[in-house]
Amino acid sequence: MGWFGNRKEPPAAASRQDRTRCWEARDAYFACLDASGVVVAGSEGSRCAGQNKAYQENCARSWIDYFNKRRVLAEQQKPILAQAAMQAEEAKRRSS
Amino acid sequence: MSMNTITFAARRAVRLPKPTNALQYYFSHSPSTSSARAPRSISTGGPRRRYSTPVNDKQQNKSAVGVFSPQAAALFVLAGTGLFLYFKWEKERLAEQKQKDMESRTVGRAHVGGPFQMTTHEGKPFSDKDMLGKWSLIYFGFTNCPDICPDELDKMSAAVNTLDESYGPIVQPIFISVDPARDTIPQMARYVADFHPRLVGLTGDYATAKATCKAYRVYFSTPPDAKPGDDYLVDHSIFFYFMDPDGKFVEAFGKSSSAEDVVERVKRELEEWKAERGRLV
Repeated sequence: MGWFGNRKEPPAAASRQDRTRCWEARDAYFACLDASGVVVAGSEGSRCAGQNKAYQENCARSWIDYFNKRRVLAEQQKPILAQAAMQAEEAKRRSS
Repeated sequence: MSMNTITFAARRAVRLPKPTNALQYYFSHSPSTSSARAPRSISTGGPRRRYSTPVNDKQQNKSAVGVFSPQAAALFVLAGTGLFLYFKWEKERLAEQKQKDMESRTVGRAHVGGPFQMTTHEGKPFSDKDMLGKWSLIYFGFTNCPDICPDELDKMSAAVNTLDESYGPIVQPIFISVDPARDTIPQMARYVADFHPRLVGLTGDYATAKATCKAYRVYFSTPPDAKPGDDYLVDHSIFFYFMDPDGKFVEAFGKSSSAEDVVERVKRELEEWKAERGRLV
């Protein structure tokens, strides 16, 4: 199961290359989810199977859980951040 | 007999007054009889039995201090208050200016840092004493960190590279593990190699990591009984600290500070230090 599961204890931490590979796989998978309009990873059915496989192979389980949770959180924060940005813009416009 | 004669003669010669007691003496010298300098305002009768002379005192005071009326007193108090307030304001303004100049140097310096004893990624002991005489940037994290730690360490490395160009190697980057169960010495050695060549990775056992983090006010969530083979993440404070050559805290940088922000802040501190002490470390 990728670089993480095969190693003896303690498993070697991800190297820079490992990290980059994982991030790229994650970005590809999340782009696919975005295209399918899915926020919560795993609820997309079989649509992004290829990307998901690469993601699972290149990232540790704990990282996958973390990235998936953060994706949901970021999605929830989007309207709030947009609103904050709009208010900031308005305040700027009023003061000038 | 001759003694009596001499005494009598002397008395006649100097015309000594013959006061019988103090009261009689006073009356014979009271203003109403001895001097007409001030008009009498209270009594127009003959000598009165009085034991003080308020009228006379008042006249003398007036001639001594000039005109001191209630208006003058009010003016005096007003001017005094005005001056007092002005100087107070001016003093506050100067203090504020000074505070601005000394910004974050000695005033309100946070109590971050303290004694610790850990081991470097090369297996050498490293304590807070090893930080003295050098500026340091310290980041707390763990090698299995998904994205924030490597980002922050890259930022720190970039800042140190820029500073190296201007000043030489006077800023020491340090990475302290908050996950000692998995971050063994070889693990740390592999990890720090990905970043700045001078980056020192520090690890130890759970107790030393906990003590160091406590000194640096760093939170981390690693459970004490974490096993080396477990796949878990550590929640931890993601600031990195900038410490001076005396081992004193200067600044903390968060995720929102860029490498340029860090360089700018460090340079400002270095220049102030140089101006103050005539040397860079």
